[in-house]
Amino acid sequence: MPLRSFQAKLVYLTVAVLVLLQAATLIAVHVAGQRTMHRSIADELRVGSRVLDRILTVRGRQLSVAVRALASDFAFREAIASGDRPTITSVLSNHGGRIHADAVFLIALDGSVAADTLDAQYVSRPFPLPSLVREAQRRGEAAAIVTFDERPYQIVIVPVLGPRPIAWVCMGFMIDEAVLNDVRRLTALDISLWNPAAGDSPLVVSTLRQDERAALVSQMRTLSPKSGDVDETLQLGRDAYQVLLHPLQTADKSKINMLLQRSIEEAQRPYRRLELQIFAMSTLALIAALIAAIFFARGVSSPLQRLAQEAQRIERGDYSTAVGIRQKDEIGRLANAFDQMRTGIAEREDQIRFQATHDSLTGLPNRTLFFDRLSHAIASAQRGGGFVGMIMMDLDRFKEINDTLGHHFGDDLLIEIGRRLRQTLRQSDTVARLGGDEFGVTFLAPDTGHATEVARRIGSALETPFLLGGVSIEVEGSMGIALYPLHAEDASTLMKRADIAMYDAKKDHVAFATYEPGRDEHSLRRLTLLSELRHAIARDELELHYQPKIDVSTGKAVHAEALVRWQHPVHGKLPPDEFIPLAEQSGNIGMITKWVLRSAITHCGAWNASGLDMTVAVNLSALDLFDAELPTYISGLLSEVGLSPSKLVLEITESAVMKDPTYALRILRDLKNRGVTLAIDDYGTGYSSLAHLKRLPVDELKIDKSFVLNLRDASTDDIVIVRSTIELGHNMGLRVIAEGVENAEAWQILKKLGCDMAQGYFVSPPLPANEFRVWVGNAQNGGGDFVPVWTAAN
Amino acid sequence: MLRSLLFVLLFSLPVHAATLTVDVRDSRGGAVADAVVYAVPEGRELPPSKKTAVMDQKNRMFVPHVLPVQTGTAVRFPNSDDIRHQVYSFSSAKAFQLPLYKGTPANPVVFDRAGVVTLGCNIHDRMSAYIVIVDTPYFAATGKKGRVAIPSVSAGKYAVHVWYPEMSSEPPPVPLTLAAAGNKELTIVIRK
Repeated sequence: MPLRSFQAKLVYLTVAVLVLLQAATLIAVHVAGQRTMHRSIADELRVGSRVLDRILTVRGRQLSVAVRALASDFAFREAIASGDRPTITSVLSNHGGRIHADAVFLIALDGSVAADTLDAQYVSRPFPLPSLVREAQRRGEAAAIVTFDERPYQIVIVPVLGPRPIAWVCMGFMIDEAVLNDVRRLTALDISLWNPAAGDSPLVVSTLRQDERAALVSQMRTLSPKSGDVDETLQLGRDAYQVLLHPLQTADKSKINMLLQRSIEEAQRPYRRLELQIFAMSTLALIAALIAAIFFARGVSSPLQRLAQEAQRIERGDYSTAVGIRQKDEIGRLANAFDQMRTGIAEREDQIRFQATHDSLTGLPNRTLFFDRLSHAIASAQRGGGFVGMIMMDLDRFKEINDTLGHHFGDDLLIEIGRRLRQTLRQSDTVARLGGDEFGVTFLAPDTGHATEVARRIGSALETPFLLGGVSIEVEGSMGIALYPLHAEDASTLMKRADIAMYDAKKDHVAFATYEPGRDEHSLRRLTLLSELRHAIARDELELHYQPKIDVSTGKAVHAEALVRWQHPVHGKLPPDEFIPLAEQSGNIGMITKWVLRSAITHCGAWNASGLDMTVAVNLSALDLFDAELPTYISGLLSEVGLSPSKLVLEITESAVMKDPTYALRILRDLKNRGVTLAIDDYGTGYSSLAHLKRLPVDELKIDKSFVLNLRDASTDDIVIVRSTIELGHNMGLRVIAEGVENAEAWQILKKLGCDMAQGYFVSPPLPANEFRVWVGNAQNGGGDFVPVWTAAN
Repeated sequence: MLRSLLFVLLFSLPVHAATLTVDVRDSRGGAVADAVVYAVPEGRELPPSKKTAVMDQKNRMFVPHVLPVQTGTAVRFPNSDDIRHQVYSFSSAKAFQLPLYKGTPANPVVFDRAGVVTLGCNIHDRMSAYIVIVDTPYFAATGKKGRVAIPSVSAGKYAVHVWYPEMSSEPPPVPLTLAAAGNKELTIVIRK
């Protein structure tokens, strides 16, 4: 039993209280007992002294009756009257013997001793106690205590009648042990006769044992108690005695004392017995209380211990077992409440765990649980072999759906998609909503082909239009596939790579793509660049290069396309393809566009100011077309530099316009109205219809370099596209520019096809602003017309 | 110890008859009853008496309480009670006892020595009486008035004695001379 347990405490407390109470009772009983005992001893001693007096008085009276009867015996009187001393002496001892007298005297009427039984010692001498004889004359008898030979006697004097008094007879009765024993029987006191006048043996008679007498004598000599004092205690042998010194009333003034002794031991015996009984009862009560306390405490503490164990089980997360205490008392109520708490906690924990691991909207597992299951699946595949497939999917155009049909619709759609995914896949596969419109699927794949099979099934499951609230909608998703152990060794990498694959699919406009090894490193670099790009402008790491566009008919450089370069401190010079998409994603594109615009317009302003007739071309991002402030900004720049708006060309891709055609068109018109030249960049890669193109307020059309790069002979399909594009552009009143001109064949073909301007490495690579200025100067000073570099070299 | 003093007052009266009258008084002048007054002639031996006397027992009392007799008188002790008595005397003048009896014992007790005999009854301690034996025929016991008259006292010299029960010793006798026919009155005061 641990020291601090409730049970132990209760037991200790009970025992302590009881022991204290009982100790107090015992002490009180003992003290009261002792006090009462001493008082009662004192009372006994006083009563004893009175009893002794009384007994002696009564004895004296009895003796006098006896003596008187004897003295009136006729024969006795006759003998006395005879006057013959031997006869008288014999009758004295004879008749005295009848009543056990120890000494008998015959006193003549004149007060002299006529005869005695003490060998005639006193004969003819005056009787030693004449006052007693006088008292006897007065009262007919006299009784008193006197000392003879240092011993106390009770004596009686009565007349011998003839019938007138003819003599006095005196009989003496020794106060001996028999008398004292009588008193002892009555009073339970020990009695000693103490005659201090008798030097050697002051203890005349005693009821004490022989060994105690000697001790009494020696102690009395040192104590010498006063008469009537009851407080003296004597230690006689093993026994302690309380004593009372009581003087005997003697007729001869002799100082004989009665010493009454009460054995304390003996007096204590009933108290001892009482104390013993109380002690025994206390012990029994203590044991009973102890047992009761243990049982009671166990009755309380064992359910409490069970509750504590239960609480520990709950702490460990085990909610399965009920406490099972069926009591109707407070503990029972506590156990009941405990059970309710247990089930409540279990329910809430289930709920919390569900919420923590599931998506509240679709009820599907969330990213956390998905990750967990994926990890488990990988762990078991590590042991058992096989592949673990993971598909990450997000929905195309979901933002538009949300914006146009409302969030509720979007939510309902997500729920429905979740349901379809769930129906499509096996029970053992996990379908999760990873966030937003992103779903994750993981499954065990016996081979690599299984993953694409699953992706295909998902794709076909989404093919059926969704009918929600009367709206029928088609949804497409982009899926990225990654497989353990082909693409990653752990869950988080696998997820990342599925994500990369998904972006690849999205980029390539395909339903799904499988992760290609090495893609991830690229992706990583992108991420670093993304964060560094923000500081690139401030650190002056951006730089503009210019690539000339040559008027094919005149051979003169008329336009310079500004191309931004990032002089990265680690990676060196980075082309725009690597960081412009990042800037678009991170929302920094506006900042870069504005920097490019300012630099390009400034450069161009300087060139024109120096007499070079040059138009500068700047690429706008799709996001720039959402910036309503942009036209105002450009006008401000142009006027600030003093450059004519006609000297600025803004190149926009088809797809940029297609993001939000209405809004883009408004911006473009605004720009157009300000006199800025607009060009469609990368023409031919988008899906824009000609009708659409027709509505755009553009002046130029740039054929995408993918058509131009392979333009070597007239046999390719590209030549058809290029020709028809040039014709189309011209028909719509637009200037047509070909980029990616990298050889003379292409140059010749373009010239033949009537292309307005050409741009490419065949003419010049992009050059830094100062070099570009030099290059243009050389080219113009050289011959006026553009001479291809390689031609000049020849 | 009581010491009695005797005061004798003598009155010289004219002698005209031989009757001796004596008043016995105590010191307070009160009459002393049951006192025996007797006159002992000087110089003459008188023959012992042949008379008898009676000491009766009535109502558990000796009657009379004091009985003076002359030496040689036989005293009978009739028992007038219907209970028995046992009369005794431890006195040196005449010690005797009459075993329990009723009626009158056959033989009277003769008191032939002068002295005082104290009588008692062995079964009735309170009964007591005195027989005062004197060597003279001239004696009498006082009555309630404490006065005795002893008649026919012949002329001559006498010693007049007084005895009474409680005395511790006999007072000294009063010498007296009587004429032939002259009466004599005498008052004796005892210390009592």
